[in-house]
Parts: sequence; structure tokens; C-alpha cells
Amino acid sequence: MKQTVIGLTLAILPLTCVAAPESYTFDPYHTFVHFGVDHNDFSTIWGRFEKCSGKFSIDLQAKTGTLEVIVETGSVTTGDSVRGNRPRSRDEHLRSADFFNAVEFPRMRYKAGSVKFNGDAPAELRGDLTLLGVTRPVTLMLDRWKCAPHAVTKRWICGGNAVGTLKRTDFGMKWGVPATGDEVKILVTFEAFRD
Amino acid sequence: MLPFLAGLVASAVLAPLRLAGLAAVAGFATAVYLVVGFEFSPMTTVRKAMLLGLVAPVIGVAADVAFKPTRFAAPLIALLSAAASVWVFLAVLRQKEIAQAVLLGGGVGAYVAWLVVWMLALRDDSVRAGAASLALGLGTGVAAVFAASATLGLYAMALGSASGAFLLVQMLTGRRTFAGVAFTLTAGLLAGLLGAATYHLAQLPWFVLPVMALVPLAARVPVPAKWPVWGQATGISVLPLAVAAAACFLVWQSSRGSPG
Repeated sequence: MKQTVIGLTLAILPLTCVAAPESYTFDPYHTFVHFGVDHNDFSTIWGRFEKCSGKFSIDLQAKTGTLEVIVETGSVTTGDSVRGNRPRSRDEHLRSADFFNAVEFPRMRYKAGSVKFNGDAPAELRGDLTLLGVTRPVTLMLDRWKCAPHAVTKRWICGGNAVGTLKRTDFGMKWGVPATGDEVKILVTFEAFRD
Repeated sequence: MLPFLAGLVASAVLAPLRLAGLAAVAGFATAVYLVVGFEFSPMTTVRKAMLLGLVAPVIGVAADVAFKPTRFAAPLIALLSAAASVWVFLAVLRQKEIAQAVLLGGGVGAYVAWLVVWMLALRDDSVRAGAASLALGLGTGVAAVFAASATLGLYAMALGSASGAFLLVQMLTGRRTFAGVAFTLTAGLLAGLLGAATYHLAQLPWFVLPVMALVPLAARVPVPAKWPVWGQATGISVLPLAVAAAACFLVWQSSRGSPG
């Protein structure tokens, strides 16, 4: 009996090693959260957050994964950070209580616990975004995904793009609607090194 | 415009009931309804300030109707207002180092208490109270817009315009009305909290607040008692508005041309 148990354990052990989830940490220099908002029905203004961090784990055999991203709201920029002759720039306005309220809510968090796969690649992330103290479900679609050794460092790296939308009023960010659109397009471009 | 109309209607209709002081909250509540609506979850700093602004006139009416104001009442209410203001900014203060949190919390409490105590001192003079609240509201509002927060700016300007309506009704009728704690507590507390919120959550330079704090004192400028009400209102309003304008000029000057 004892020999059977040992034998089975040894037989299963390699399989569990293969199926074990791999953990990745986002490369802050190549991971950015972008957002686009309609402006007065004329154009889409795009901005991004300069600072974010996070990790994800993925199990390609079991086709499961989890992800957590933390975004520093004070790092928001839309390319308008100089006041010039105005009393404030657009980026300063975005940091104020009218929008991201960065002093009171310095971080927003996206946490996904459900990943759908399309073949061998993750295709859809279902998670919760916490912004301005409000948590709402947000789904992101992965439209690009690749894992390979890094060209220079040779470290194993995964990267891709994820897109989604949300309504900012769902999070209590109501200033300027509808002139400044309610629907926010999200584009996350990311690269992450295996831990 | 609508907060002004709300203040005008409240002042005119409620004056015979000695409740014209509710004009301040009528204007403020109209602005809240129009800008974001009455939502209190999650309880953010701005929403806490909103809540206190709506609760203040209830306490004020109760004080005006039920209690005989004593000389200890104003400092006591100011002290409670200071404590409430620390509660309002707790989420912001918690993120600071202890020494900085104590300094900022103390500063907020002192600013709010100062405005409340000096506004309460004007509760029996509806013209001076109206002039002070007009200048505090408009000044804080314009300063908030310069300091990058339109929401806080609109709230404060709503207080200012409703106070202007409160003053205008007295000027047009030629009769002083009753301000009481309902008006002065609402005005002092709201102006204090909105000014402090603009400092914490937007980019109001700290040195603007001590200048703005001089507004209720400026409303004590002497004017001849024999002047008609409209003349007194005009004469008294000049200095507080000038002080508020000076505060706004400081915000404008400090922000112009500097990087974001």
C-alpha cells in the first residue's frame, strides 16, 4: 500500500508542476492604463496614468488566472499639464475633486478573478474596479497576447493589450457629463516579467 | 441663477415666519441637486461637507426657536463645527504623517470655527450677515474655480448668490429680516468647509484662507443707522466683497504661469 501511494505521488507530481499557475509582475516602464473620453461630441480626448503596478497569475493548463492592478490616480495626464495664462491645467482639474479626487483617493484598483480563454490565449478578464470608493464590475477584452523570452534580458515575458469601457457616472464621477462623455474607453497596454 | 432664485423665494416667502435664513441652504441645496444630486454613498469628503451644510440649518432653526442664545452658545457651536470639520477631512488626514495631520486638521478646525463664530456674531444683524455670506460664498466660489475645482466653486457660489438674494429682499422691501443661527451657521460652516476642501482637494494656496477669514470682520464696518436698508446693505457689502476679491486675486496670481 505504502509503495502504491509513493508511486502515485511521484506519478502525479510532474503533472501538478506543469499545471501550476505562473506569477507575473507588470513592468512599470511598459505598462500603462489609457482612457479616452468624448469631448463636446467633437473628438475623443485620450489620457493615461503614468504610474501603475500589479501582478497576475495564469495557469495555461487549467485555463485560469487572476490579476490585480493598482493605478496611481495622481499620475493622470492628458498632455495638458502647463497652466500658461490659465489658472489651472486640464491635468490639474482631472486630479481635483471634480474627477479623480486624487488626494482623497490616491489609488484605483482593478481585481480580476475570472479569465476566459480563446484556445490557449486568455481573451477576457472579468473583475471589479474600485474608483472613488465605489466598486463596480468591469470586463476587459484581450485583443493581443504573446509570451516569449525578452529579446535582451532573455527573461520570460508576457505582453498584450486589453480594452474595455465603463460609465464614469457609475463611480460617482459626474462632473461635466454629457459635454465630457460619460462612457470611458479603456486601453491597457502591458508587459510583465515572470517572477 | 437657480440657486439665486431659490434663495429669493425662500427669503421672501419665509420672512414672515422668521425663517428667511433658510435662503442660504435653499441656494446650496439647489446647486447640489443640479450638480451631482443628493447621494451620500460612499461618504466622501465633499459629501460629508454637503451633509453638514444640509444639517446646519436644522440645528440653526432649532437654536433660533427653542433656545435662548447665551454668550457661550457661539463658541460652543464653533467648537462643535471644528470637530465636525475634522470628521469631514478624516479620509484625507489619515493619509498624512501624524504631525502633518494634526497641523492640517487643526488648521481646518480653526478656519471653520473662526468663520462660524464670527458669522454667528452677526446673527442679529441680517444685513451684515447677508453681506458677509455674499462675499464669503462668491469669494470662496471664484477662488475654488481658480484652484481647479468647479464643483466646489459652484457650491460656494450658490451660497453666495442665495445670500445675495437674502440681502436683495431686504433692500427691495426696505425691511430687515431675521437671519438667526439658521442663516449664519449655515453660511459660516459651508464657507469654511468648502474653502478648506478647496485647499485639500484642489490647489488653493493656504495663505488665501486667512485673507478670506477677514470677510466676517469686514462686514462689521460702521454705516450710519439712519441710512435706508438698501444703502446700509450696499455700504456694508463693499468692504467684505473687496476682501474676498483680494483673496481671489491672490489665488489668480499664485497660479498664473506656474507649471501644473
